[in-house]
Amino acid sequence: MSEDIQETESIPFFPDHVSTELKVVVGILAIVVLIGLWGLIHPVGLQEPADPMNTPLHVKPEWYFLALYQLLKFIPKTVGAVAPVLALGVLMLWPFIDRKADQTPRARRIRLIVTSILVVILIALTIWGEVS
Amino acid sequence: MPELNKRRAFSIFITILLLGAIPLITALAKDTATVQSSGIVQEGEIFTQAGENAFIGERPNASLPPPPDKDSCLHCHITGEDKNLWTPLARWFLFGTMGLFLGYGLYRNAGTLVSKKPWKPIPQRIAEWVDERYQISAPLSKVLSKPVPKYALHWWYCLGGITAFLFIVQGTTGILLAFYYQPTPETAYASIQFIESQVRFGAAIRSIHHWAANGMILMCVAHMLRVFIMGAYKPPRELNWVSGVLLLTLTLAFGFTGYLLPWDQRAFWATTVGSEIAGSLPVIGNLALVFLRVGWDVSAQTLSRFYALHIIALPLLTVAMMGAHFLMVRRQGIARPL
Repeated sequence: MSEDIQETESIPFFPDHVSTELKVVVGILAIVVLIGLWGLIHPVGLQEPADPMNTPLHVKPEWYFLALYQLLKFIPKTVGAVAPVLALGVLMLWPFIDRKADQTPRARRIRLIVTSILVVILIALTIWGEVS
Repeated sequence: MPELNKRRAFSIFITILLLGAIPLITALAKDTATVQSSGIVQEGEIFTQAGENAFIGERPNASLPPPPDKDSCLHCHITGEDKNLWTPLARWFLFGTMGLFLGYGLYRNAGTLVSKKPWKPIPQRIAEWVDERYQISAPLSKVLSKPVPKYALHWWYCLGGITAFLFIVQGTTGILLAFYYQPTPETAYASIQFIESQVRFGAAIRSIHHWAANGMILMCVAHMLRVFIMGAYKPPRELNWVSGVLLLTLTLAFGFTGYLLPWDQRAFWATTVGSEIAGSLPVIGNLALVFLRVGWDVSAQTLSRFYALHIIALPLLTVAMMGAHFLMVRRQGIARPL
């Protein structure tokens, strides 16, 4: 961690900081090219063409909506529709709710723990939605 | 009229010589083509068998590859007949590169010869030319020399940057896909098949677009978690957090609208179920459903709407929001860790 770094220590944006960013960009680009090569061997592919008359047995959304999809199995539909909207609203207005400037590492640790629990619940719901 | 000295006269002479060589070479090349055509007509016999009897006689130049609709193999049409190194693409590349080098060398030598001054690199010339007119270098260097704290070099500070870079990747590959994609229920599925099987590197481009979309959502969430845990949303950075949450929403909207575009079973039914959930919202449910589906069912209009949202509305909103996000970070600096 960075406890011993002094506040005044800084580097110029260009070229020092930009060159570091560039290294990250080149790394990501290399991964992107590898994904492209992988795609040439194993294309993303398609399922059967869409057929409004024929409902498939298991309709699953993309993985980032899976947690919500799994949650909807246990709660009423209206609540399930309102919950994500409400969650996004609270998330968006969070800085206006939690305004106290924190000076201690303790507040940060609490946030870390709360976030970890939420993330674990989300991941669990996603995996549950995937296997069920 | 400027004085016609020896050097100038010489360079004009050389120019005329080079310009004169072009029609000469073209004429010679045409002769070679007619001589060789007898050998290439035999390849044309494939088309004779296909019932195109009058075809060979009418073809203006036998050395050209057949037109795309007469060619059974699209890749062969683009690359020409297989002659190893001498396929047209290789020829274009080799002669093009040689031509660029030659042109640059001629320009550089002629430039120093005429001006009798040491050579200045072309980027420097362009920079000076622009700066002379718009005085851009002083404000630019002020922007570029702004100090960045050293702690911003930790890896968890580049999650947002990676998200932004993946957005650029998505934009680029998305434009490439839009060249071939057709947003109608009859043709969407076939056009994706065409991209994956016929378009050069089409499968790679689609694969990158697909996986980078997932990566973008992951990175977006990771960036948000980092900001939340470190408390970087606290005053005075509230609006930056708000714009960030909006960007996450836009990214998810990208995912939702893009998912329908392949028009396969999964796409169709995921959209049906997704818009149904939106439809069960209290009060505005039906309005949301009709807005998403353009009617009561997922139809051709839904596809058009999702396509327009995916490639026009959402990108414009995202770019604007990203601009605001970056400007705010820039203005306030990166939040100091505890």
